[in-house]
Amino acid sequence: MSSTVETEHHAPAPAEPVRDGIWRRPLKNTGLVGFLTTVDHKKIGIGYALGALFFLLLGGIEALIIRAQLMYPEQELISARTYNQLFTMHGTTMIFLAVMPLSAAFFNYIMPLQIGARDVAFPRMNALGLWCFLLGGVILNLSWFFPGGAPAIGWFAYAPLTDRQYSPEMGTDFWIMGLQILGIASLVGAFNFITTIVNMRAPGLSMMRLPLFTWMTLITSFLIILAFPAITIALVELMFDRHFGTYFFNVEGGGKPILWQHLFWIFGHPEVYILILPAMGIISEILPVFSRKPLFGYPLIVFSGAVIGFLGFAVWSHHMFTTGLGVVATTAFAFLTMLIAIPTGVKIFNWIGTMWGGRIRFTTPMLFSVGFIWMFMMGGFTGIMHSSPPVDAQQQDTYFVVAHFHYVLIGGSIFALFAGMYYWFPKVSGRLMDDFVGKIVFYLMFIGFNLAFFPMHILGMTGMPRRTHTYKSEMGWDQSNFWSTVGAFILGIGILIFVIQMVYAFYKGGKAPKDPWDSRTLEWDTDSPPKEYNFAYTPVIHARDQVWEDKYGVEAKRMEKIAPGKHGIHMPDQSWWPLITSIGIFIACLGMVFHKQPVPLTAEAVFGLEIVIAGLVATFIGMAAWALEGPGGFHLHPDPAEYAGATPAPEDEHGHH
Amino acid sequence: MRLRNRTPFLAAAAMAAVGLLLLLAGCSLNIEGQQSALDPKGPVAKNQYDIFMLTLYVTTFIFITVGGSLAWVLWKFRQRKGDDPDFIPPQSHGHPLLEMGLVIASAGLLVIIAIPTFGGIILKKIVPDEFLGDAVEVNVTGFQWWWAFEYPEQGFYTANELVFPAGRAIKLNLRADDVIHSFWLPKLAGKVDLIPGQENFLWIKADEPGYFWGQCAEFCGDSHAYMLFRAIALPEDEWKEWLETQQRETVEDDGSFEPLLAREEWGYPEDKILKGAEVFRQACAGCHSVNPRMQTNGPNLAHFGSRSSVAAGWYENEYDLLYKWIREPERVKPGNFMYRGFLDRDGRTVIMPGLKDYDLSDEEVHAVTAYLYTLR
Amino acid sequence: MSSHAATTDDPHAALEPLKKTSTGIENKKLAMWAFLASDCMFFGTLISTHLIYRKVYPTVVEPTEFFDIELTGFSSFILLMSSLLMALSVSAAHKGNIAGMRRFLLGTIFFGLIFLSGQVYEFNHFVKDAGLTLSSSVFGSTFYLLTGTHGVHVALGVLWLSCWTACSLPKDWAWYTLRGGRFLWLPFRVIFAPMVGRYKHENALDVEVAGLYWHFVDIVWIVIFTAVYLVEYLPILGF
Ligand code: HEA
Ligand code: HEA
Ligand code: HEC
Ligand code: CUA
Ligand SMILES: [Cu+2]
Repeated sequence: MSSTVETEHHAPAPAEPVRDGIWRRPLKNTGLVGFLTTVDHKKIGIGYALGALFFLLLGGIEALIIRAQLMYPEQELISARTYNQLFTMHGTTMIFLAVMPLSAAFFNYIMPLQIGARDVAFPRMNALGLWCFLLGGVILNLSWFFPGGAPAIGWFAYAPLTDRQYSPEMGTDFWIMGLQILGIASLVGAFNFITTIVNMRAPGLSMMRLPLFTWMTLITSFLIILAFPAITIALVELMFDRHFGTYFFNVEGGGKPILWQHLFWIFGHPEVYILILPAMGIISEILPVFSRKPLFGYPLIVFSGAVIGFLGFAVWSHHMFTTGLGVVATTAFAFLTMLIAIPTGVKIFNWIGTMWGGRIRFTTPMLFSVGFIWMFMMGGFTGIMHSSPPVDAQQQDTYFVVAHFHYVLIGGSIFALFAGMYYWFPKVSGRLMDDFVGKIVFYLMFIGFNLAFFPMHILGMTGMPRRTHTYKSEMGWDQSNFWSTVGAFILGIGILIFVIQMVYAFYKGGKAPKDPWDSRTLEWDTDSPPKEYNFAYTPVIHARDQVWEDKYGVEAKRMEKIAPGKHGIHMPDQSWWPLITSIGIFIACLGMVFHKQPVPLTAEAVFGLEIVIAGLVATFIGMAAWALEGPGGFHLHPDPAEYAGATPAPEDEHGHH
Repeated sequence: MRLRNRTPFLAAAAMAAVGLLLLLAGCSLNIEGQQSALDPKGPVAKNQYDIFMLTLYVTTFIFITVGGSLAWVLWKFRQRKGDDPDFIPPQSHGHPLLEMGLVIASAGLLVIIAIPTFGGIILKKIVPDEFLGDAVEVNVTGFQWWWAFEYPEQGFYTANELVFPAGRAIKLNLRADDVIHSFWLPKLAGKVDLIPGQENFLWIKADEPGYFWGQCAEFCGDSHAYMLFRAIALPEDEWKEWLETQQRETVEDDGSFEPLLAREEWGYPEDKILKGAEVFRQACAGCHSVNPRMQTNGPNLAHFGSRSSVAAGWYENEYDLLYKWIREPERVKPGNFMYRGFLDRDGRTVIMPGLKDYDLSDEEVHAVTAYLYTLR
Repeated sequence: MSSHAATTDDPHAALEPLKKTSTGIENKKLAMWAFLASDCMFFGTLISTHLIYRKVYPTVVEPTEFFDIELTGFSSFILLMSSLLMALSVSAAHKGNIAGMRRFLLGTIFFGLIFLSGQVYEFNHFVKDAGLTLSSSVFGSTFYLLTGTHGVHVALGVLWLSCWTACSLPKDWAWYTLRGGRFLWLPFRVIFAPMVGRYKHENALDVEVAGLYWHFVDIVWIVIFTAVYLVEYLPILGF
């Protein structure tokens, strides 16, 4: 990647501090060691993206098996249990291992570039997030290989079905611990992004000049830190119920199964906005570029994003309309839920306003963005139907809900993430993707998606319950199911072509210039792909769409550049400790899964908490060594040509030593 | 970047997709399906259907106006062949008045939905006074994967088939013993969950006599898909008759389990039935009560011969299917407790052996199958 | 939009984004505040679980009969006082008074340990004498999970402060004082010896961040003390 960099990498600058970790710090930034010890937000972002795409395919294959089983009535392609495991894993995988990390990939890669930062605030913590995400995915999917197989409890795992009595297998424990690690990944990521966005903006980049995607990253991060604790505690309580005989969700000792639902959805509803707000951020970046107009009503879009996030914490019980809540609670939650249509509508109106009077170019990212608006709107409307409890009484737990959430999740999140991938691929890889193939992918996905999920509305209203592995022909659901399966496969082919196209473009695509789309935000002012230090100069921002102003704006709004000082650019050092810490956590979680399970090759012995303790010790050692090691750092000296025209740095009075 | 103009292609593809969908929707919209919520047969379902249609109209209206403006904007402001590629449209930043107007319009549309919603919430929870007088009460308990129905006023039990008088309100007290289930009879009312440790309420009313299908709507383990039930709304006189028969015993109370039904009505050779009674006494009676006034771990079978379905509504009650169920319960409903037996809280120890441990011969199963039809 | 947020258009203000911040608040402090917001939700969830469940327990005895409110009150007071010491050590750290900082840190740790011993004693007493265990009833389940989670927070805080205390020791302490060779010292050697002598003045910020955490854990205890212990006495007091 950095073959063209002509700087003296790691040349010992005069006052270079001694790098005295407990281990020698890794210096090689290529190859396996370079990857395992990286702290570069761009490499970490790519790591997230590759992991997420892998899991998207895995979850997609699970979905295709589900659809194949439902293609005809009373089929026996797979057993009921396998089916139940498949939808549990499909839902969990798609939400926690595909869409969230794919959003995180963009947070990591794009956000620091958009704010003109050299990296995130805590580069090593960022690496910890990546490893926890990958190891969480590993734990979750390890379940397939142990007796009893994957969990079969549904992605929201309602108690008491998850109790030992009803789910004695280890699958449920894998699910609990997998989610627990993924929670750590999301939390450390979110702390990091909040700090980065609030604290590390380029000079002049005020909050109200932030690109919309960065704003949505910030709001999403706040949602994560406030929503994840609820599920973390719920999972701990469930773990205690299963392993230590407590009664949190067990009726016998006075527990209430309904508490699980409250805790889960206090997390779960904000979670769906965690999935959609980054997508909305991406759309808000792409539409202005391809309409050649600034975002219409920027302050209102930012504000409505915040309102959606805020209201998201007040509506969780709309998933529980059928659980016998009182009239007052039901009504309150229903009306609050409806309110969310307003800030969401604001976004949609403003997007249309953005395109109004513009000069619209239908590139692949633009097609996905426009497709997003329509499809997300449909999903939103079915959401509004759900928000009316009398209507929801018929729809809850039917295919109508399945239709609703796939419209918002695929037509919404996935379409926007694909738009984002097409849009930023040239920046990330330095290569162009063919627009024509991209359009074919879009049409296949658009048609396949609608064919797969539109009939589900009908299925739901005519009574097909979700999470059923088969149905009777008398019910009259045969045709819709058949076409839905056909659509799912078309959608799958579209995604497959996308993957092939991306791999092809990575090796064979044309070279991408700095700014292939005629874009507006700061990331397009640096190389494609960006150098390790992102920007050779410090950008000084004078306008919201800075790069656009640089090209077409008035003189007063042009960006200023400040050259690096004579020490060069300070970069953080690589480190082994994030990886080691995450492995410690991984071992502790596995130990919890094996707790009370028979020890192989022994007659009667069962595992106690030994493995957990070993894992926790490893975690502690990792963290202590991490702290002792310090962020470290070295200096890079970019080629002066890269910051030609920049004002010299006001050296030592502001510099550091 | 090459920019080819593919708008006509886009439009055509989108149209084609929408057309296809409408076509599919048209030919697969099975409004009168067994479980269709679009074919309400009682006041609760009717109310829910009406509100659904209202939301459908409102949102379709918004979809057409907003989605339509989007389509128009895309068409109108697209870059055409021959347009100056360097053209820069006016950089407008927003229009606060317009934005506020749309916010207010959205809020207004929501109010239209909100008002009947409130009525619907109340209606589902509270039986209107006019129906209270002659309401019938039934206690419903959900088990993995079947339903117990208790008629507390008359004091008897039945399973998997809810029988009630048409034209009267039925008050359902919903409970569960193991995991969460959900009671759903789409044509009569939306669902309410059955949650362990909590009692929920739902009321239904069928305007006319009829035969309805219901389903467990909350995922409850391996055989959730097979947890159905049937509901029969009878005319008043047949309802009275049904109540009477249900309270009758159907077997001798000397522990021999011989049917009380007159021998000439047995319909099978006598020794087969008697053998069936013996098999039942040994293998089945531990879980199944044939006394209408007693509920055990399995479905009450006192009047099984007169029910219309087997295996919680999954099969019609026909000899071959009943035989299949008793012969291979595991193949019909994976994980079910009739086969596995009942387990302790640790999920491992068997506290009540199931058919897995009985190893019945084909002949014995035939005998007990025939026997069950004498319980009427 | 004018740039009314904290940033100014002064190009020199954030020249080195890794060193200076847009808001002037240090990164570590900001991240700690974010963590504490999150931790509020953790404890919020636990406390609500307890409040929901405290009345449905089928325990035989009223909690007030086995609670030892004097003892718990005392240890709560100690924990509060430790916050004072913590504040003093942060202030000493900023003044560059390392010896003073170390003294106050040791005091904080000592008070933290008193609190923890109180909790260990209390748990022991509840299990042995009142039969209240994790699995005796849902009251036990929520009680131990909530107070236990808080205890783990305090213990981690003690560990954290101990690390800074070790760091602040003069370099030659590393092998000198711990050289006794006694087996008991081994873990201390392994864990703390590499830290000795590493404290520099710029670490005052880290001590301050640890202090934020410590204060938070103390404040949460006030809430827990009220929600778990004091409420049980309301009926006795006639509410
Ligand atoms: C990306 C994820 C995402 C998003 C954005 C949403 C958005 C919304 N969701 Fe959805 N939802 C899910 C993901 C999502 N949902 C998932 C995964 C489930 C199921 C979980 C499970 O059971 O497995 C679910 C389930 C679910 C339920 C429970 C259904 C049930 O189980 O019975 C409800 C009930 O109220 C609901 C409502 C809403 C509403 C009102 C919105 C609103 O935010 C939508 C707002 C948008 C619009 C309304 C469109 C645009 C607006 C305008 C053009 C303005 C004018 C409009 C009006 C005036 C109406 N959702
Ligand atoms: C973001 C989240 C997300 C995404 C993207 C998807 C994507 C898909 N989902 Fe998913 N789904 C959920 C979230 C998601 N789902 C959730 C939360 C549930 C609820 C789970 C529960 O009840 O617990 C659910 C449940 C669910 C069900 C209901 C199961 C049930 O209730 O019984 C169905 C049924 O059709 C389904 C189908 C699909 C299909 C066909 C896709 C497709 O979009 C998938 C497309 C992707 C691919 C096909 C992979 C790419 C291609 C290849 C790997 C190449 C090979 C392919 C070919 C050769 C064709 N999903
Ligand atoms: C270990 C307990 C157990 C034993 C022994 C047992 N059953 Fe069952 N039986 C059940 C349970 C539980 C169900 C409900 C299963 C389900 O639907 O998942 C059931 C269901 C049935 C049904 C279907 C009822 C309906 O309306 O759907 C019939 C018929 C039946 N059993 C007959 C028998 C016969 C005949 C035997 C003996 C040969 C027998 N059972 C032995 C527990 C048992
Ligand atoms: Cu019972 Cu699903
Ligand atoms: Cu929701």
